[in-house]
Amino acid sequence: MNLYDIIFYIFAAITVVSGVITVTSKNIIYAAFSLLFTFFGVAGMYVLLGADFISIVQIIVYVGGILILLLFGVMLTNKVTSTDIKSGSVNVLPAVIGVALFAGALISIIIRTKWTETPGEIPLSTAGTLGSVLLNEYVIIFELLAVLLLIALIGAASIARRTKEETN
Amino acid sequence: MYDIILDFTGNEILSMFISAALPLFMFILPFALVAVLAERKVSAFMQDRLGPTRVGPKGLLQTVADILKLFQKEDIVASNADKKLFNLAPILVFAGSFAVFAAIPFSGAYIGTFADVGIFFVVAISSLVVAGILMAGWASNNKYSLLGAVRSAAQIISYEIPTALVILSLVMLAGTLNLYELTEMQTEYFWNWYIFGGPATGIQKILLIPFMIVGFIILYISTLAEVNRTPFDIPEAESELVAGYHTEYSGMKFAIFFLAEYANMFAVSAIVATLFFGGFQSPFGYLGDLFGVEWLIPIEQFGWFTVKGLFFVFVQMWLRWTLPRLRVDQLMTMCWKYMIPYAFVNLIIIGIISLI
Amino acid sequence: MLNYFKNTWEGIYTVLVGMKITFKHLFTPEVTIQYPEIKVPMEERVRNRLYVNMDDCIGCDQCARACPVNCIEIDTVKALPSDDLGKTSNGKKKALWVTKFDIDIAKCCYCQLCVFPCPTDCIYMTDVYEFAEYDRNDLIYKFATLTPEEGTEKKEAFDVFQAEKEAQKKAAAEAKAKAAAEKKAAEEAEAAKKADEEKKDDSKKDEE
Repeated sequence: MNLYDIIFYIFAAITVVSGVITVTSKNIIYAAFSLLFTFFGVAGMYVLLGADFISIVQIIVYVGGILILLLFGVMLTNKVTSTDIKSGSVNVLPAVIGVALFAGALISIIIRTKWTETPGEIPLSTAGTLGSVLLNEYVIIFELLAVLLLIALIGAASIARRTKEETN
Repeated sequence: MYDIILDFTGNEILSMFISAALPLFMFILPFALVAVLAERKVSAFMQDRLGPTRVGPKGLLQTVADILKLFQKEDIVASNADKKLFNLAPILVFAGSFAVFAAIPFSGAYIGTFADVGIFFVVAISSLVVAGILMAGWASNNKYSLLGAVRSAAQIISYEIPTALVILSLVMLAGTLNLYELTEMQTEYFWNWYIFGGPATGIQKILLIPFMIVGFIILYISTLAEVNRTPFDIPEAESELVAGYHTEYSGMKFAIFFLAEYANMFAVSAIVATLFFGGFQSPFGYLGDLFGVEWLIPIEQFGWFTVKGLFFVFVQMWLRWTLPRLRVDQLMTMCWKYMIPYAFVNLIIIGIISLI
Repeated sequence: MLNYFKNTWEGIYTVLVGMKITFKHLFTPEVTIQYPEIKVPMEERVRNRLYVNMDDCIGCDQCARACPVNCIEIDTVKALPSDDLGKTSNGKKKALWVTKFDIDIAKCCYCQLCVFPCPTDCIYMTDVYEFAEYDRNDLIYKFATLTPEEGTEKKEAFDVFQAEKEAQKKAAAEAKAKAAAEKKAAEEAEAAKKADEEKKDDSKKDEE
């Protein structure tokens, strides 16, 4: 077991442990913050897989965007000064069935796949190739996504906008 | 530098770790020592005062005394605070601001990591600081802390947009995210710096200069807002929020927040210097070249880098003692109504010029 | 739209103006005075700590009476005729031993009212303003040149003198009274004698 493996296991442990905390924690804030570590663990895994650009995107989108938005949501919608922000469990039976099915599917996929092992290596640059692929082969999808985001942005702005007062 | 460590330890990953930890001990800690004193001295001189004069000659050892004091202070955790998050938050904030240094090239011979995503990594990792600040504010269980944290998060997220847009325009021009390569493009003389249009030539260069200056101004202002410095220090506004998100912190945890703040100050200054002012490149040749002494060049480069970084830190202090604090709505107006449109237009124009 | 650009320009321009001003101040000499090392000379008429030049004090108690907060306490003992207290600098003859001259500077309100009545100008305000103490009792300044023992000695001496004087007076009065009594007695005796003689004469006459 070399250092590369150790780092992999550290990241894996961070991801799994914080993921479990996210799901089981009764305190929503704890759940949200352990989600932060899950995202980071996953980003670390991406780096180890040689996907540096994806890992940075993971951080910038999930940690910098979604998680902060989530925290804001939690902090703004509840009484923040008390630690009463708790989550409970409802609909246990349907959830168990769903999770069992999903887990079964995942496990069967893991078992059936023929894994190929490659030795760990320092990630190489992927940003350049990714960029040229995005803007050549998948340019339509890329542009459509941009338009979608723009629509979402305009929609959010128009919802948030103060309605004009009808006096005068 | 990495190669030397690799020779020494014989392990790639271990030497990466050591190489990554170098800026902390070799640079951030000494820098914080100097910068805290400089901040106080600059503020004093700008207000026609003397500043600290008691400890050491001319008060030069004032920070040392301050640090000794902070070491001795009791580590107070408020009884109603969320202890786990309260203890974790300073580490997270510091980790975020320290991680930025991994992608910054200090000299031709030293850069934390040659990762190709460089500047993108810098933009991304600073979101960790936001999470840490929110954590600190929430865990303190104090309304001032929470208000400060929420303000800080809102501010940093908003100002990340103009920062990213300006950086994008530069990346577009340079064709690389790697800060080391970006620096190498601005080599030789100062008119190769990106503030003067970069390595482009002819009409393109002349056309680029005004838009580069606009870009620089936007970048500098928005990075100033990202590190919560005056006039954008509403997250720590002393007159309104005591000390913002670190109101409840004391002793070493407070010191860590403080260190993170100063590390951040230098990090953004270094980024501005690297993007627009040639990073570690000398404005006019090297002494090492002149005398044919090879090993002198990296040291000179480090010197230039430090000088440029410190100059922008000084400008931050200068602005701090010039401008009053903005109101929250003014802050947001400035970001969303002024800087983002300008940054967008600037980005488009630079894109068009780069096509010429 | 024009306003928008105007705002932008004004924003940048005013910041630059401000920065220019602060930059100028970076090089203006500082106005700080390093207090314990460098002290600003006080004005001539400044009112600070009281001082009493005991060489000139005649113990007239006028300052104590003038004080609105009663922070001056003076006790005096009359000098013996044999004692020579000397003269004050403006030629007044001193006639009182000042056994106690306490100023409680913690009470003092620095009104300077005690200074004017002094006939010898011996109490005055100095420009000393650093006299903080850890104990409030240390702020009671004792100006009397005599030690308490000397004071009691003088007092006793004066008492003795007084007593002696009293005794002398008494003695003198007694002597006077004695003399008067003797005189009276003598007169009475004489009168009696005369009367006796007269009686004798009468009896003689009677016998005849």
